[in-house]
Amino acid sequence: MERLNPRVRVVWLIMAVFRASLAGGFIVGGALLLSITDFWGNPPDLLVPGAVALAVILAIVRLIVAWLRYSVWRFEVQDDGLFIERGVFTRIKTVVPYVRVQHVDSRRSPLERTAGLSTVVVYTAGSRSADVAIPGLTPERAETLREELRRLAIESEGEDAV
Amino acid sequence: MKKLHPASVAARSLSRSVNVGLLFFIGGIIASPGGAGPNLLSVGGMVLVGILVAVVYEIAYYERFRYELTADTFDVASGVVARRDREVPLRRIQNVDIRQTILSRALGVAAVHIETAGGGQTEVSLQYVGEDEARNLRRQLRRGAKADEEDDATADDATDRDTVEEEGDEEELLFEIQPRELAILSVFTIDPGASLLGGIALSFVSGFDPTTLVPVGLVEGIPGTGSGIVAIAWAIVLFLLAAWVVSAVLTFNRYYGFRLTRVDDELYYERGLVQRYSGTIPLEKVQTLTITERVPFRWFGYGALAVETAGYAPGQSSSRGSESAIPLARFDRVVTLARDIEPFGDVDLEAPPKRARERYGVRYLLVVAVVVGAGYLLASATFVERWYLLAGLLALVPVAAHLKWSNRGYRVGDRYVLARTGFWNRSTKVVPYYRVQAVLHTQSIFQRRRRLASVTADTASSASFLGRAATAYDVDAERGLELQQHIEDQLQERLRARKRERTVGEWFQRPVADDKDDSAGSESA
Repeated sequence: MERLNPRVRVVWLIMAVFRASLAGGFIVGGALLLSITDFWGNPPDLLVPGAVALAVILAIVRLIVAWLRYSVWRFEVQDDGLFIERGVFTRIKTVVPYVRVQHVDSRRSPLERTAGLSTVVVYTAGSRSADVAIPGLTPERAETLREELRRLAIESEGEDAV
Repeated sequence: MKKLHPASVAARSLSRSVNVGLLFFIGGIIASPGGAGPNLLSVGGMVLVGILVAVVYEIAYYERFRYELTADTFDVASGVVARRDREVPLRRIQNVDIRQTILSRALGVAAVHIETAGGGQTEVSLQYVGEDEARNLRRQLRRGAKADEEDDATADDATDRDTVEEEGDEEELLFEIQPRELAILSVFTIDPGASLLGGIALSFVSGFDPTTLVPVGLVEGIPGTGSGIVAIAWAIVLFLLAAWVVSAVLTFNRYYGFRLTRVDDELYYERGLVQRYSGTIPLEKVQTLTITERVPFRWFGYGALAVETAGYAPGQSSSRGSESAIPLARFDRVVTLARDIEPFGDVDLEAPPKRARERYGVRYLLVVAVVVGAGYLLASATFVERWYLLAGLLALVPVAAHLKWSNRGYRVGDRYVLARTGFWNRSTKVVPYYRVQAVLHTQSIFQRRRRLASVTADTASSASFLGRAATAYDVDAERGLELQQHIEDQLQERLRARKRERTVGEWFQRPVADDKDDSAGSESA
């Protein structure tokens, strides 16, 4: 079983902070708006502190999930298919047979580029598992993995992958 | 290159001018508020302009549309402003549908839709060609798709093919809807669109004044606040009644004259009273079979069968109905036909472990707790009293949990994996191993506590975007992993077997193909 590069935790934490501040901004902003204007006739005193507390709790949960995600994530290039295990709350173990691979991408978001990481995306024709992404790979590993998957997909050539 | 049927200009402009005219009508109304005389003129003018624009556009569309069936592709060149040339390889075609609305039936034309597995929408729509041309196209596309798979069907074969096409096809009738089945289907089907239509119909009947519908005599007799509630209840009953009638009429119209036939290795269906729909389902492209037994039908021993291919894109709601192979029939007939398509053997399913039932019990307990809590809040805020009576729902919890548990199951067969779920709408999915795209083993936190897991065999079927995938719910976690491995192994095994068959087939290709053509010719002669 192969683990992701530990640096991916930094990427996920930054994303979590970003999303949490966005969601928190909406919650607290909404509460402030309600308490300042008289849209809600007589709002309870706890409205704004409650909203702040909710935003903080949500942010903490997000950060914990982002941290734990790394310890769950693993994948393996097996004989017949790509095996992936992920998910903090709902744990998902996926097997994608090479015969079913339509194409393979590697992509890098700006954040991943600064962290020196890369993501490989495997596409199938399936309806639920249409694209499977493996994040947190070093660019070299992403390149070798993509080549490996491409080779395996061609070797195991099927009818028309549908 | 061929052109569309000339009448398609009329058919297309009529349907388009309804749309565009409506748009301009609304535009005209918005643009001229207040007053009556001059506005009627300007609104009418706008509508006329809209119709004119539509007609001109459709003439240009007709003039610039060309299609052609070549030996191995179907080519379409279209577009008034932006041009598009499209080539569809025949062997990639999944479904060919023919649709006729009441208007196109009057004009003797039909719309042909060709679906492949790729893309976000129907790949080729010919609107409209003549009825005969539509039938011919369907037959030729099928022949072409088949001949193309027999790799060496070249030019000299093509002449043979043409002669065969001229002759009629040998059809085997698989299913024809009986009046009784159609009646049961119409009476018990609830069409989601019908409630809206029912409401509209009701408002027309009442002359846009809902109060006229309430019988005055009935309401007068009841004193105090009671009369208001009775009036509302009366309106709701009327609304439901209207929705039900509309729904029955729509369903009757949709499935009237439903026939399913088999020609060689393709299913062909026809249906519809006012609008006629027909289409082909190639058996070798079948992704999943779904047998559904909805609750009122299941009690009478009836079921339905849907054949899913990869052809339709998600959100193509109109095509959902057309994928059903049998809208309603006695359960044994449904299973017989399903076995005809995919010989999947017995349907004795393995039940999930008993602890799954406990899990459903806990889940429903939580639901009841939430309902009771909401009742309490409602009681404290409004005049509603005795909120605690809702706790009576607790009696239903064990029943519901048991029903949910007993309607779930799975089976890993020789060549197929079967999965069943749902009490109200029980569906049994039959997935051939070689159609599996990926296998997912999922465990939520609650499932992990009880060492349970759900295993999904994902296919490329386009119906599972909206509906359910073939999932074995709440199997033992260890067993789930075995199941996942087993499906994977079987997939590889079946693919190898199919490859062997294909290579062997190629060796004997020529004599077999000739044989078939000969026999088809002599039988129909």
